[in-house]
Amino acid sequence: MKSLISALLVTTAAVLAVPALLAHHSASMFDDTKVLELTGVVREMQWANPHIWIQVVVTDNGAKKEWSLEGGSPNSLSRRGWRSTTFKPGDVVTVRLNPMKDGTLAGAFIGARFASDGHTIGRWD
Amino acid sequence: MRFIAAVAVAILCGLAATVASAQETGARPATLPDWSGAWLMQGPTVFDAATVQPKNGRAGEPDVREFPPYNAEWEAIYKKHIELVKHGTFPDPISTCGTPHGFPRVMNVPDVYEFAVTAQQVVIVTENGPNILRVYTDGRTHPAPEDLWPTYNGSSVGHWEGDTLVFTTIALKGFSGKDVIVDRTGLVLSDVSRVTTRLRKVDDMTMEARMVIEDAKALTAPWSVAKRYRKQPPGTWAWDYACAENNRNPISGSGRTLTLGPDGKPIDKVVD
Repeated sequence: MKSLISALLVTTAAVLAVPALLAHHSASMFDDTKVLELTGVVREMQWANPHIWIQVVVTDNGAKKEWSLEGGSPNSLSRRGWRSTTFKPGDVVTVRLNPMKDGTLAGAFIGARFASDGHTIGRWD
Repeated sequence: MRFIAAVAVAILCGLAATVASAQETGARPATLPDWSGAWLMQGPTVFDAATVQPKNGRAGEPDVREFPPYNAEWEAIYKKHIELVKHGTFPDPISTCGTPHGFPRVMNVPDVYEFAVTAQQVVIVTENGPNILRVYTDGRTHPAPEDLWPTYNGSSVGHWEGDTLVFTTIALKGFSGKDVIVDRTGLVLSDVSRVTTRLRKVDDMTMEARMVIEDAKALTAPWSVAKRYRKQPPGTWAWDYACAENNRNPISGSGRTLTLGPDGKPIDKVVD
């Protein structure tokens, strides 16, 4: 499947930072002035405290790379309509994230759009 | 007339029995306010939003600070922490998932709060952490100094002034063991800090905690901070929060917050 990094947006304000991450640890590793958009396939969602993680496999120039996206706690997300099945293995998604400052394959989750029906979750303006 | 008197006596006896029963079971007597439900702290986790600079700055971001009335020694400590925050090496003790937030930070955490009012005590439960703060209102005083030792949440005793719970908290660890901070700007207090809190329901949807912090080691004057909590929709659940269940953000030796990959190994380029 052809998947790729589709956009790298630079914002001047930290409006898309993920406050929920502040619940448990410093967010200093994330660059909240940048928003990265990726399209890939969900390998797994880890629905556990203190933060959920979404593992997304992205094919970039023929190479498969696994990204780790960190979200809020299951507790707070469940009150915003998320469930443990919100992301299922095999889902094709486009995700937006604040990437790691050091360029490694991880970031703070902002929002996602599902290829199956176009619905979105998180912030997707 | 005799019938009415008999009814009145019966009602009074019933009320007395209810109060006695409430006292025995720990249920909330009707004379105490109803703080039931789930409550969410308003605003971000900057402890003293009234003095934060830059305005609306968030705890953990570089060059964000508050202005407690620190003496020169503790202002220097705070400035050192602010510098560490700038380099991403000011460790938050709770990121290890092993300790409570500690008082007064416990009044400054995300996710929901519950305030359980009983005849003998008020128990404040925070989902995040989780944390439990017990405020005894049964007339006891703080233990004698020789019977106390510094703990994360210390010793809290209080009384009711109308619908306001007034309590003092002492015997706090503070930053003595470097394992209690006040927020991620680098704010800390000492182990002689003492807090007087006035907790009340401002209106049906809002709780307020007004804290006056005294600290003979760190502060030159009492420091007043207010936090507010918004009532969540009826039926809101508070859930289990087992922080160590899947902690992929441990702290390195230098105080840096790491990010672990799905294999449990750091994916950071710098691990020091």
